[in-house]
Amino acid sequence: MKNRLIMKTKYHLVLVLLFMVTASCSFDEEIDPNGPSLEGVETNASLRQLNELAIGVQATSRNGHGIETAASGTLARELYLFDADPRNTGDLLGKNGIQLDNNSFYSTAQFIGSYRCIKNANVLLEALDNTQVIDETDKNGYRGFAKTYIAYELIQILKSYGTARVDVADPDNLGPFLGFDATLVEIRSLLNEAQSDLSGFGPLDQFLFPISGFGDLIDTSGEMGDDVRDDDTEITIQEFILFNRAIAALAAVYAGDGSGALTELSNSYFDLTGSLTMGAKFVFGLGAGDQPNGVFRSPSASAEEPNNADQIIVHDSWINDAEAGDTRVAAKAAVRPSASAQDGLNGTHEIRLYASNVAPIDIIRNEELILLYAEASILANNLGDAETAINVIRNAANIGDKDYGTPTPTEAQLTTEMLEQRRYSLWCENHRMFDLRRYDLSNTLPIDRAGDQVFNIMPIPLSENQ
Amino acid sequence: MKKQSQISKGLLLFLFFFPVVLFAQETITGKVLNEGTGEGVPFINIVEDGTNNGTASDIDGNFSLTVSNLPVTLRIFSIGFTTKLVTVENAGAITVQVTESLEALEEIVVTGLGSSIKRANLANAVSTVSSEELIGNTGQTTVDGALYGKVTGVNITASSGAPGGGTALRLRGISSINGNNQPLFIVDGVYINNVEIPSGLRFASGANRGNEENSGNRLADIDPNDIQNIEILKGASAAAIYGTRANAGVVIITTKKGKGGKTKIRFSQDTGINVIQNKLGLRPWTATSVFNSFFTPNPDDPAAEARSRAAAEAEVAAFNNAVASGGLIDYEDEIYGNVGFISETKLSASGGSDKTRFYIGGSYRDEEGIIKNTGFDRFSIRSNIDHKISDIFDVSLSSNYVRSNSSRSFTGNENEGGLSFGYTLAFTRPWNNLFPDADGNYPNNPNYPGNPIFVRDQAKNEDSNNRFIQGIKFTTKLLTREKDKVKFVVNGGVDYLANETYVYVPETHQAQVGNQEGFVAEGRNNFTQFNLLAFAVWDHTALDGNLNLTTQGGVSYLEQQANLVNSRGSNLFGGQTSVDQSVNQVIDQTRSNQKDFGYFAQIEGNYKDQIIGTLGYRLDKSTLNGDVNKFYGFPKASLAINIANFDFWQFEPINQLKFRTAYGETGSSAAFGSAFTSLNPSNIGGNGGLSVDTRGDRDIEPETSAEFEVGMDIGILDSRISFEASYYNRKVSDLILSRNVPSSSGFTTETTNLADLVNEGLELAVRGDVYRSDNFYWNTGVQFYFNRSEVTRLDVPAFAQPGAGFGTGLGTFFIEEGQPVTQIVGNIDPDGDGPIEASLQQVGNVEPDFQMAFNNQFTLFKQIDVSFLLQWKQGGENLNLSRFLTDLGQTSPDLETPEGQARLGTAANAERFVEDAGYVRLREAAIYYRFPTNIVEGLFGETVEGVKLGISGRNLFTITDYSSYDPEVSVNGGAGLSSGIEVTPFPSSQQFYFHLNVNF
Repeated sequence: MKNRLIMKTKYHLVLVLLFMVTASCSFDEEIDPNGPSLEGVETNASLRQLNELAIGVQATSRNGHGIETAASGTLARELYLFDADPRNTGDLLGKNGIQLDNNSFYSTAQFIGSYRCIKNANVLLEALDNTQVIDETDKNGYRGFAKTYIAYELIQILKSYGTARVDVADPDNLGPFLGFDATLVEIRSLLNEAQSDLSGFGPLDQFLFPISGFGDLIDTSGEMGDDVRDDDTEITIQEFILFNRAIAALAAVYAGDGSGALTELSNSYFDLTGSLTMGAKFVFGLGAGDQPNGVFRSPSASAEEPNNADQIIVHDSWINDAEAGDTRVAAKAAVRPSASAQDGLNGTHEIRLYASNVAPIDIIRNEELILLYAEASILANNLGDAETAINVIRNAANIGDKDYGTPTPTEAQLTTEMLEQRRYSLWCENHRMFDLRRYDLSNTLPIDRAGDQVFNIMPIPLSENQ
Repeated sequence: MKKQSQISKGLLLFLFFFPVVLFAQETITGKVLNEGTGEGVPFINIVEDGTNNGTASDIDGNFSLTVSNLPVTLRIFSIGFTTKLVTVENAGAITVQVTESLEALEEIVVTGLGSSIKRANLANAVSTVSSEELIGNTGQTTVDGALYGKVTGVNITASSGAPGGGTALRLRGISSINGNNQPLFIVDGVYINNVEIPSGLRFASGANRGNEENSGNRLADIDPNDIQNIEILKGASAAAIYGTRANAGVVIITTKKGKGGKTKIRFSQDTGINVIQNKLGLRPWTATSVFNSFFTPNPDDPAAEARSRAAAEAEVAAFNNAVASGGLIDYEDEIYGNVGFISETKLSASGGSDKTRFYIGGSYRDEEGIIKNTGFDRFSIRSNIDHKISDIFDVSLSSNYVRSNSSRSFTGNENEGGLSFGYTLAFTRPWNNLFPDADGNYPNNPNYPGNPIFVRDQAKNEDSNNRFIQGIKFTTKLLTREKDKVKFVVNGGVDYLANETYVYVPETHQAQVGNQEGFVAEGRNNFTQFNLLAFAVWDHTALDGNLNLTTQGGVSYLEQQANLVNSRGSNLFGGQTSVDQSVNQVIDQTRSNQKDFGYFAQIEGNYKDQIIGTLGYRLDKSTLNGDVNKFYGFPKASLAINIANFDFWQFEPINQLKFRTAYGETGSSAAFGSAFTSLNPSNIGGNGGLSVDTRGDRDIEPETSAEFEVGMDIGILDSRISFEASYYNRKVSDLILSRNVPSSSGFTTETTNLADLVNEGLELAVRGDVYRSDNFYWNTGVQFYFNRSEVTRLDVPAFAQPGAGFGTGLGTFFIEEGQPVTQIVGNIDPDGDGPIEASLQQVGNVEPDFQMAFNNQFTLFKQIDVSFLLQWKQGGENLNLSRFLTDLGQTSPDLETPEGQARLGTAANAERFVEDAGYVRLREAAIYYRFPTNIVEGLFGETVEGVKLGISGRNLFTITDYSSYDPEVSVNGGAGLSSGIEVTPFPSSQQFYFHLNVNF
């Protein structure tokens, strides 16, 4: 009997075990333990989540910036990047007849970076439409911010690629690539929408989220009523509109609309007599999830300890073509103590544009606005204003007023001089390649090695299937 | 017996209906002796032929069997012995002599989760590698590395030559690209973890991804010495019963078990060296070539030309100076020229009684690499206990603890890290002295941001692992009857791995100065895997014993948890090596948890060993799928017909002629996280922000393989010569792919079911005892196999596989309908004169045309064993981007030749760097001397049974046109499409061993 009992128990155990294993195996829906889900913020987002998205927009606007600057600077023979990746001295200079590839870091990084930022802005816009956590007025603060950033990023895409997809909110139904002019029309209307979103606020109203890199725009003089405000650490929404208009001026100039640009400039922080460095900035950090300045390169310490290997080398023509005494050359470049060559290329100077890997990079500073003012004035045929503005820049660089050999320089002379000042004021800031392209001057660039070619536009990334 | 019939009454209610038969009883007693030694044979099966009435001999070979009536034919069989049939007329004592068999034909192969079958009856091409084949020739660091050339249909590539892993095993081509492309490894019923664990060194080296960090794969923790045999289920038709984890095949590893009888103690000591297999050598520089290499004429700009001339003349002066004072420095030799010492000590004991058998093994391997300060050591201890609790219950325990450490230093791809040796060496000029001065200060490398001597001496990349693998199997014989046997088995186990990684780059490293200012990364990674099978097996005999049916069914559960934490510090305090001694700290954490649950059932029928058929089905669900509770079904069916076992077969020389066919399906779920679209931290100005990243697919389904296999096996002259041929066609449907989505969507990659893929191939193997005599014995084996793949459906436009190459500029794997999945594609401009004609072209295919292995064993004068294994890989191309770097640094060894100079003038596209990666290699060779018994006895007396001495080598020579270190290479570790792309790997090594084996 006892044995029998044991056997029965054993058999029952088997049954119970099988039953338990079978019954206990209804799995719960998996959630990602490693991060918040996109769906979770798209509906009923909390204020905290909205703010995280807004900060994400600002943070990702820096994505791809370092590669974009070095690559376009190389194409424009402003610099060489000597580093571990041979494509920086090969593909980008068209070595031995090679063409730019549409699936390499130099053609994809800035595209991915800009659209990542645009996507985050679109996610924020969608989240705003699907939450009741703040009222409509406050939502407009976020919207104006997000649209301004989308417009800025689209301008960057245009500069590198000459075309852009504007309608990208739905990843499964992307809009077409629009031509250069058509995209600029969209950009300018987006900037105006943003301005209108931001216009319903009082002079002391601030964003509900923190915003970084806009410290220069905070008016601490009291003129805007700041004397009654105890918080000068955050930008007001009206101060942000100054930035929005600066970008609008940029878009207007690129669209060839001189008088429009002059209007936008007058509503921005453009100041012909103000500090050239004043403006909105990308800020960097080394903390978790943050990014370092992607253009900074360690300076060579000495001839014994040179840094030739991961280094931005100044193109010799930029040094040689400079007017004697131009302070911008010494400020932005230094002689290499041991100028070794790489890939058959060489240069006497290395970059000194930024002091450290957390130094901020200007998004758009007064110096560029003054140059835009000069350009807009040329486009609007206010040649005298253009000459004045150019001389402001020249005098800041300690090279005095330009002698054109005539008291009334021609539009062509001023354009040439304006571009030359842009070349030195905005060196290694992702302008030269686009400036030469839009003025059809890329063919004036020097060829450094037999078999090299000049490119002035990046191919659209392969993944776009164009 | 009575007891058991009462159990069956319970069972009748439970599952099946069993006829209850009573029978008369006669008792036969006897002893089974080994014809060769005269000793009793323990635990051999003695069965009344045609029935399932049987017993096993005890430890001395004695047995007692009760039969229903006389006369009776007894079938006496066991692995390792030739089956013997004995007719017994009278009850009482008998003596039976059995002979040891020449293995192969009677080998038992796993066919289900709870059943096995004689190889002669198998319907699939399951490859088995014995302990002797695995480690009998030469020393082996890792299990996967030991399989080179030993199995048809397998393709092995090494992502790193560093000791201690970095190997990828592919069975019958690529079956998954972003899912798991590595086979499922099962050790004694425990699903084991074979992860490559990233260390975070990419944050100092600038490597693009974790899989460029060249981590080892953790199969390296398994000691090859413990292994009794390895069965490789290569395709879906054999592996279907493993369901959703088996898409890339299954490797079943069985460790050594104790045998009854006298306790055997084995000791062995291997001592050897690692040296670089293939040095590329120094470019034979001349003053003229130095000048020409670094001078760029520039007629348009005389000033620039003058500067270039001055720089080139400075290089020439440095060159002349170096030649005058001691010569050029061969940095390749300096870095890769270390002679690494290898020592492996193994001690095992096995034995047992009729109730309990044990195997206890311990080993310690310490291996130094060909780069100073690299190496691998592994301490492994194993105990396998089998205990027969009663006639009803058996329990087996297999326990393994492993401690392994490795130091892998820095190799492979990087960006501006100045760490990877190959990268650094490509730009290091042999006239620059980089050795430290008397005060220990290392000079800067003027041409690259890293001094390789400094990195070798001061930077660290290490990992250590503590690992427990515990398996348990509990068998209950619910019913043992003449015609029916039912057993219930619970089998499972735990694999727990605690891994620590450590990367340290001093703040004085050239690339760190002014940048990170020192870097340290500490990883703490825990993995727990748990799996359980519970099933019942019913053996039924019908048709007067002519038909055996084995039916099994059960459930399976698997859970895998991982928690990877990587903390990194940069801007280190002077000389400090801990994460907290830094200014900037970053911590990453990645967790995953996955569960699978499945049902399976299978029935096998065997009619007189003539016709053997199997039908099976598995249902699986997994939390990795979009719908976590949806079951996916995986059927299988197979049929084998042994022509030579039919009565009409009278042709004696051919003892086996088998035709077999099999069909099966398996699956592979997406990698953890593929279903999620999550946000990642993206911070600025000290504020926490969120950003979109990868796009997931909530509806993701498992990719499934359906494989059809046909084959034939022929055995000639009592299987002295055997021949095996198999053809397979495997279709992978709904292949899970990560692809680059239009990045204007804000996402860069998406993982989803996108494509179909077909692999087909042929595998042939011949093995035979060519010559057998007292003083000369020669056994030889030849294997030949190839695989072809084609993408047959692709729902999206053709795309470059993310993370598998360097863009279409330099070459990348490219998923394209109608093309092999292993193709390498680049952007090629045929005449190099303009952008219009540049187009994507296939420049190569990493799939070999075919592979062959030639394996030989000789025994001379009974005491000397000689063996060698020759491997031939024909075709298959690699993309050698190491050469891109050495060309750029002007250090390629062939640059003094016109061909080398001509290459420098061509466009740096994929076509320029594709090379044929075929080779012929003497993979293993060994000579052993076994001391004759009388000498051993004379020297050591009775205590020592045998002494064997030997020398052996691995990778002794390689014939190849490939210009770099080793055509077996992968820059992206073992994952997905990885092999065949080279960027400055850890060079592979040659090993030489001296062996001493003593048996007590």
